[in-house]
Amino acid sequence: MVQSKKQKYLFLTFCLLPTFLLFVIFTVYPMVNGIYLSLFDWSGMSANREFVGFENYIRMFNDEIIGKAIYNDYFFVVTKVIGIMILSLFFAVALTQLKVKEAPFYRVVFFFPNIMSVVVIGILWQFIYEPDIGLVNGFLTSVGLESWTRPWLGSMEWALPSLVVPAIWAGIGLFMLLLMGGIMNIPKSQYESAEIDGASEWQQFWKITVPLIWPQIKTSMIYIVITSLNGSFVLVQIMTNGGPGNETEVMGSYLYQKAFEDFQFGYGATIGVLILILSLVTVLIMQFILKREKVEY
Amino acid sequence: MTKFITGAAVRIPLIIWSILVVFPLIWMFVGAFKSNAEIFSSPWSMPETYNFGNFVSAWVDFSIGSSFLNTIFVTVLGTVLCLAFSIPTTYALERLRFKGSEVLFNVYLASMMIPAVLGWIPLFFLLMNMNLLDNLFALSAVYAISQVPFTIFILSSFMGSVPKELEEAAAVDGMSPYGVLFKIVTPMVKTGIITASILNAITFWNEYFMALILLQTESKNTLGVQMDLLSTNAQYESAWGALFAGLVIAVVPVIIFYAIFQRHIVKGMTEGAVKG
Repeated sequence: MVQSKKQKYLFLTFCLLPTFLLFVIFTVYPMVNGIYLSLFDWSGMSANREFVGFENYIRMFNDEIIGKAIYNDYFFVVTKVIGIMILSLFFAVALTQLKVKEAPFYRVVFFFPNIMSVVVIGILWQFIYEPDIGLVNGFLTSVGLESWTRPWLGSMEWALPSLVVPAIWAGIGLFMLLLMGGIMNIPKSQYESAEIDGASEWQQFWKITVPLIWPQIKTSMIYIVITSLNGSFVLVQIMTNGGPGNETEVMGSYLYQKAFEDFQFGYGATIGVLILILSLVTVLIMQFILKREKVEY
Repeated sequence: MTKFITGAAVRIPLIIWSILVVFPLIWMFVGAFKSNAEIFSSPWSMPETYNFGNFVSAWVDFSIGSSFLNTIFVTVLGTVLCLAFSIPTTYALERLRFKGSEVLFNVYLASMMIPAVLGWIPLFFLLMNMNLLDNLFALSAVYAISQVPFTIFILSSFMGSVPKELEEAAAVDGMSPYGVLFKIVTPMVKTGIITASILNAITFWNEYFMALILLQTESKNTLGVQMDLLSTNAQYESAWGALFAGLVIAVVPVIIFYAIFQRHIVKGMTEGAVKG
């Protein structure tokens, strides 16, 4: 190659520098600055920014709503991981191995909610739960279970579980596709030899399918946890705004409320750091629990 | 007989789930044509007459029209900018080995794990100080940068499979490295570019929170923010029909997009899983 060193460096700079600069300015700097801001008491006006050390963190430990928000976030995490994994694993197996002729149809339909915006999903489900015209109460009444009807999102005990349902509804398709990718990659010979040995379909599922797609299962679970801790609040914000009371408050919605509604930007940043720490710790713990001998085929 | 039973046992959950996905959407479409009174008196029935008044009301009175155009703007600009940022970087990281290329690649990947929420407050003040709040160009740029790591991740596996001989032959013929990148390599990774762009475009079209924070006047609002406003107003003005119509307007482009690119999306997702 006829190319001087100088030209090569010039080309590398052209390729890398503009993007990296923008990445540092709009992604890295805000994150680092978010941690720094958590040490200040700040109403957003640069004049009255007061360094308070770890005071925001101490306040956070004594904030009852934070406790509630953490509980609710993990309620989302646990129910979403269980609900999404069971359903998407069942659908993935059904649509790849159980010879369902209409599989392509289901694949397209089930993925559809994944491309809808959370705003649309939130508003639509708000309607579905609407006490007078909503589908849920309407359905219960029509099958004679009138006593079960209630204002779902306005009920102290039912609001949170009611929010989990659309979160699962909207999440299934993506993970179903991810797991299908893994299953389709398993060599047929694995199942053929198991069949000769007389293994039942149930045994084949547990002894072949699950171990061989474990990497995909693990990735999916970790991905659900990260997106849940960092994204569930959009649905909360749209459907209940954290209410009734603070019954459905999660960390993200509380951060938004504190920073952009109450103008306590320092405290908001502290909640952001809490989300970061809890995400990292949870993922580390999951990595440890989900560790398994790698299976080769 | 057992075959029939297992066949049914598999199909029943599949059918139930299809209904759970499709029925709310049909209900939403039907509601968009109903009057408020009809939505309340007979929420389950088909509309008596199909009137488009709700759509007009949503589009004009609730500014869904202008926010629709704003959303198209940020989606297209964000997707194009993201490619402009990501393609040269991916090429340099994947094909031109240099000291630190692996480190830089891992920095981009690692940033995907960090919650964006943490950066929102500083980002808001950064744009405020740069006088870029309430600016659709700035929002598009922020969108583009936010998807750069993901795009690099997708494109790098495609660039890895471009034969090196092609680049070398072009270089021997006297083509500059810029020419090699844009005229030889870029066309070769078209599939990767399409996959990444589809997923990015859907993300940008649906984004809500950054737009909520970074935009301020109603005329600049994107669909997500405007729909949320409409939803709040609809409850006071009981403009339920308009709200249903607004939802339909927000969803129809995605349905069309999905119908066209459905194969690519599904293929991209399942193949990505194989590699991951």
